[in-house]
Amino acid sequence: MVSENELLKKFLKDAFEKGLIEAVMAPAATEDSYTYALVTKKEDVDKLTPIAPVMQWNGADMLRRITKLKKSERKLFAILRPCEARTFKELVKFNQINPENIIVLTYDCPGTIHARNYKHDKVPAEELIAEIKKGGKNEKIRESCKVCEYPVPIPGVGDIGMGIVNTTEPVFFSLSDTGKEFLSAMQIQEGSRDADSWVKMHRERREKWLEEERITGGRKGIEEFLSSCLNCHNCKDMCPICFCKECFFEDHTVFDYESPKYFNWADDKDGIRLPTDKTLFHIGRLIHMGTSCIGCGLCQQACPMDIPLYRLFGIVGNDLQKVFDYKPGVNDDIPPVMDFREDELHEFEGLFGGEE
Amino acid sequence: MSEEKFDPVIVGFFCNWCTSAAADLAGTARLHYPPNIRPIRVMCSSTVDPVYLIRALQEGADATILGGCHPGDCHYITGNYKARRRVAIVKTVLKSLGFDDTRVLLEWISGSEGPKFARVMNEYTSYIKERGPCDFKYIDSLGGD
Repeated sequence: MVSENELLKKFLKDAFEKGLIEAVMAPAATEDSYTYALVTKKEDVDKLTPIAPVMQWNGADMLRRITKLKKSERKLFAILRPCEARTFKELVKFNQINPENIIVLTYDCPGTIHARNYKHDKVPAEELIAEIKKGGKNEKIRESCKVCEYPVPIPGVGDIGMGIVNTTEPVFFSLSDTGKEFLSAMQIQEGSRDADSWVKMHRERREKWLEEERITGGRKGIEEFLSSCLNCHNCKDMCPICFCKECFFEDHTVFDYESPKYFNWADDKDGIRLPTDKTLFHIGRLIHMGTSCIGCGLCQQACPMDIPLYRLFGIVGNDLQKVFDYKPGVNDDIPPVMDFREDELHEFEGLFGGEE
Repeated sequence: MSEEKFDPVIVGFFCNWCTSAAADLAGTARLHYPPNIRPIRVMCSSTVDPVYLIRALQEGADATILGGCHPGDCHYITGNYKARRRVAIVKTVLKSLGFDDTRVLLEWISGSEGPKFARVMNEYTSYIKERGPCDFKYIDSLGGD
């Protein structure tokens, strides 16, 4: 029996041969990790590992870079995880990716290992895949993968889905009309598999996680949680939703102060922590991107101090998304920050908010 | 702090076209409202990024008010609808993290509602006086409560 990765590579080579695609973006192994790679020749497909055990970057962020200045000039086939496919959809809504000429394949995700752990303990992708075939999930994967809400391809998000859970042989199915045409041109029979109980397992874990890991306690809680934060802004750099060219929190006209200001603050506040505005950065970022947090968990992976940041952005983001009844990247709804209704949210206006 | 009477600082971001005009009207009508309010005139309630609201709370304000035109009356047609979404976001974030979300108030006060302006300011100030200093105050400093 061929492995899923070999099968996908064969799929890609066939597609190249049939002239259906002109380029592929998928992960490729490096010495200690996996990076995204863009290949344009059939011979180069063998250098890829379509299902990698590590997610260093969000693939949708790479597509954003490719199409930032000009739409994809070649027929680009991108292999993305379900979370990356949702990011892709979300970024298309924000006009950050031009989806023209891009075909997205996504699959039942076996989860990924924390990039830093993988350096010391190289768990092969096959081991992770073997686990989900049995309907389980490896325990070494990242926290955000364990509590993933949508670990499977969703119709309308991406073009082609590959089912791995609960099947002996992987099945392909279309998620969009483009995908349908593509699969019929490839002469692949569309199949199906039952992943409901597998998804349910994730959702149950998520519900528990949402309850247990919440940061509470106001000032004390958040200050304790962020106490080892370096203020390096890595979480912002890795976040696919933080795509602004100029970040408010790196604006030196706002966050550079004259020395008297520092001394006055120290007077008033009985001493200040330096650098200043660390908590403000996190809460401010939360306010800016929380409604569209996909849940890829790359903020947590990027944190050099191992702060479980996904518990902050994921859980508060979940609360925000509930307010607007919005699920980022799963359907065509407009992101809350781009839209408004005339008659809504009355519980947030007026004296004493929703409390009394 | 505990022995002295608590005198809150409330920062108000008031839209130029409605709430600021109402503040003027309350003044010329000689209606009384507390001096705890520190008004800042902004062109529209939607120009206030939520970060400015929490920044005010961090720097020592005990509460913030965002005042705009009534829905449908925005000088820029849709500004106040966007402001409402932003306030909903900032209030939800504060509440999620265990802060007091009543420290951010969104009020629609039109240019002719001087009495309403005075009433809201009076009620909100006495409410904040009862609740005491804001937990968000002086976050990231060595002091505070």
